[in-house]
Amino acid sequence: MLSSTSSSDLIRHHVVPNGAACVVGALLVVLLIAGACVSDRFATLPNLLNVHQQATGLALVALGQTLAILTGGIDLSVGSLISVAATLTSGLADNAYGGWSTAIAAVLVLSVAVGLLNGVLILWLRVHPLIVTLGMGALLQGAILYYSTGPAGSVPDGFDALAYGRYAGIPVTATVVVALYFAVSFFMRRARLGRYVYMVGDDEQAATLTAIPRARVILFVYVFSALCAGLTGVYLAAQFGSGQPYLGVNYTLASITPVVVGGTVLTGGRGGVIGTLIGVYLLSLLNNLINFAGIPSHYQLVVQGAAIIVAVSVNMQQKRRAA
Amino acid sequence: MSDQHIVDRIEVVNVTKRFPGVKSLDAVSFGVRAGEIHALVGENGAGKSTLMKVMAGAYVPDEGEIRFEGEPVQWHSAAHAKRRGIHVIYQELVLFPQSTVAENIFAGAEPRTRVGIIDQRAMNRQAARLLDELGVRIDPRERVRHLSVADQQMVEIAKAMAGDTRVLVLDEPTAVIAGKEVQLLFERLRVLRAKGVAIIYISHRLEEIFALCDRVTVMKDGRRIATQAVSATTREGLVRMMVGREMQEIYPPKPAIPDDAAVLLGVDKLNVGNRVFDASLTVRAGEIVGIAGMVGSGRTELASGIFGAMRTSHGTIEVAGVRRTRMTPAAAMRLGLGFVTEDRKSQGLLMYLNVAQNVSATTLDRFSRFGLLRSRAEREAAAASIREYGIAGARPAGSVATLSGGNQQKVLISRWVRVCRSVLILDEPTRGVDVGAKAEIYRVMRQLTERGLGILMISSELQEVIGMSDRVLVMREGRISGELTGRRLTEHDIMRLATASHVQPEGGGHALVN
Repeated sequence: MLSSTSSSDLIRHHVVPNGAACVVGALLVVLLIAGACVSDRFATLPNLLNVHQQATGLALVALGQTLAILTGGIDLSVGSLISVAATLTSGLADNAYGGWSTAIAAVLVLSVAVGLLNGVLILWLRVHPLIVTLGMGALLQGAILYYSTGPAGSVPDGFDALAYGRYAGIPVTATVVVALYFAVSFFMRRARLGRYVYMVGDDEQAATLTAIPRARVILFVYVFSALCAGLTGVYLAAQFGSGQPYLGVNYTLASITPVVVGGTVLTGGRGGVIGTLIGVYLLSLLNNLINFAGIPSHYQLVVQGAAIIVAVSVNMQQKRRAA
Repeated sequence: MSDQHIVDRIEVVNVTKRFPGVKSLDAVSFGVRAGEIHALVGENGAGKSTLMKVMAGAYVPDEGEIRFEGEPVQWHSAAHAKRRGIHVIYQELVLFPQSTVAENIFAGAEPRTRVGIIDQRAMNRQAARLLDELGVRIDPRERVRHLSVADQQMVEIAKAMAGDTRVLVLDEPTAVIAGKEVQLLFERLRVLRAKGVAIIYISHRLEEIFALCDRVTVMKDGRRIATQAVSATTREGLVRMMVGREMQEIYPPKPAIPDDAAVLLGVDKLNVGNRVFDASLTVRAGEIVGIAGMVGSGRTELASGIFGAMRTSHGTIEVAGVRRTRMTPAAAMRLGLGFVTEDRKSQGLLMYLNVAQNVSATTLDRFSRFGLLRSRAEREAAAASIREYGIAGARPAGSVATLSGGNQQKVLISRWVRVCRSVLILDEPTRGVDVGAKAEIYRVMRQLTERGLGILMISSELQEVIGMSDRVLVMREGRISGELTGRRLTEHDIMRLATASHVQPEGGGHALVN
């Protein structure tokens, strides 16, 4: 049945573009206040800068995931690709032939290849991205275990600056990633390709009838997602000093959580990267708060699971009302 | 009219059902007796399906009463009505293809053994007995997907007989079967009638009504026009009741099309899948060509084939002098065709995007420079479209989801007019649109043809087809069965071309063959 056109409809459609992102933004504020009550060290600048720094890996991988989900797809190969990239980075950076620049170049080439392969298989086999990327993830995980079953090498001295470097007290990489979010947000709103991403996710039939270059859109988002995952691997190798084959294993689920928490609908067409950024910081703050409150850290997974279910159900409610 | 002394098996009294903007049923009273086959006829959109859904508990009426075996009832759900013996066989069969015939017949009511597990043997035995009573030779252990469509329909009827069915509704049962299978179906229905089942038979094929039914009710525009004994009516009389109504003055005048007007679209012997065969047509500059025919006659498939949205297997499409055997939406757009689809929500509008983004969807290249969109130009163009087409309640940055059906349709038309240089294809342009918005859409259509565009319009509303078209092609079962113009363009003749099983020329005013 149709709901009446209430004031909440009005707000959703006219006052704010994305209600869910605003709800999450409000939650962020509530969380900060709650944290301040739990511990007086929580709402201090040094701690918040730490949260900022710790959010970097998740932020990077979730950025690519957002675009995949906006087309109505999903990228389940990111976790394995992160493991591969991290292991490759520390393995090659340590190597007599290589060095860190070779390592990063290798990761970038590999990521583009994986992304292209994902995209081509989705387009060519017409198999749902869920299946293609799930298979790709397993394939990559197997390949990296063949290469190495434990930590591979270690990153050279100074490479950890990528993870821990600060300028005037501000974490550099984390801030660059936030800037990247705003650049991608601008691209999604203002570039033609960005608009196509939304159109493909909104209504594939309508997109076909208006002759949208769907193949280009699909290739773009999966290559972009793979690049984000590859760079996340490089970052994590720098953070932990070494890559190992299971480093990225939790990141597949983790990358989806902030996307849906940030208001992007899983069927595509609605949402955006700024929502994801807010989702990333919400989850990072939550994890930080769990640490402060002295709760065992495995509860972080429980929180993450709960967040994804709540966020999706809220989105579905909105969608049903809009339909 | 109806005999007061016989209590109807099921009866609705003064039932009204409204949908946003439309009164789908307007104080309809209708009853079926035990042991009769009652035909329900009317044009598409007359309210037949809504009436059936009210009787079967799928819709709750806004006003009025349902009486079952003389007692007032209120169905809580379709399942509730079904438990009381109302059984509907929909046009699309509702079967589990991977399950066996017996499993389908007893789905949800499987015979059980004492420990509560399904008693396969009893189920197969009872299914065999039911099928035997129906006189069909189907193995109850066969999987349904292996059966022919006609046999699948028999499984549906067996399903109806498995319970204590008091009322059986069949919605266009012969849409999927033909010839001898139809005769077999009729025999089975007569058996059920003899057992005292009240049967409601919905069909477009008038000859079937005369072959099978006892009484007939005609519906039109959400009202019941008449209920008569079939023996007391004629084919002509039925057609007149189905279509006869006053023309409203909402259609703009038709200008004369010069004989030398350029042919913008030429379709030659086009085949689309197994839905359209040998379709040939032309659309000239300034002309509105209507395509009439029943739902499922291949109209939408023909349009989709022309635009390249469905693959064509045979024939050619010539747009503005360029002849092609294979069309794609991208090529069609380059050649200046536009296509406003039948289903606005799932094939047209981008519901999450705003009005401006919807309007510009086909012309993003015009609003971008070096791959970046010029949002202000986009919004200004949308504002101009909103003014030009009078899209009420729309702002460029506003949502399309909250617009009324008529205004959503105008958004789509303005999207396509931007790329359309030759022929605009409109599939059901005024479906779900109120009368006021209809008149505006008609005005816009004439504006476009005055600019030299051609329009190919598919419509189920005969009045609209006649009021708007300069020329009408009628389709039946995938073929164009005739062309009507001028004084021969009447609802009566369209209905005959759309429903007759043989198109034959007759004496007098009805030279139907093209």
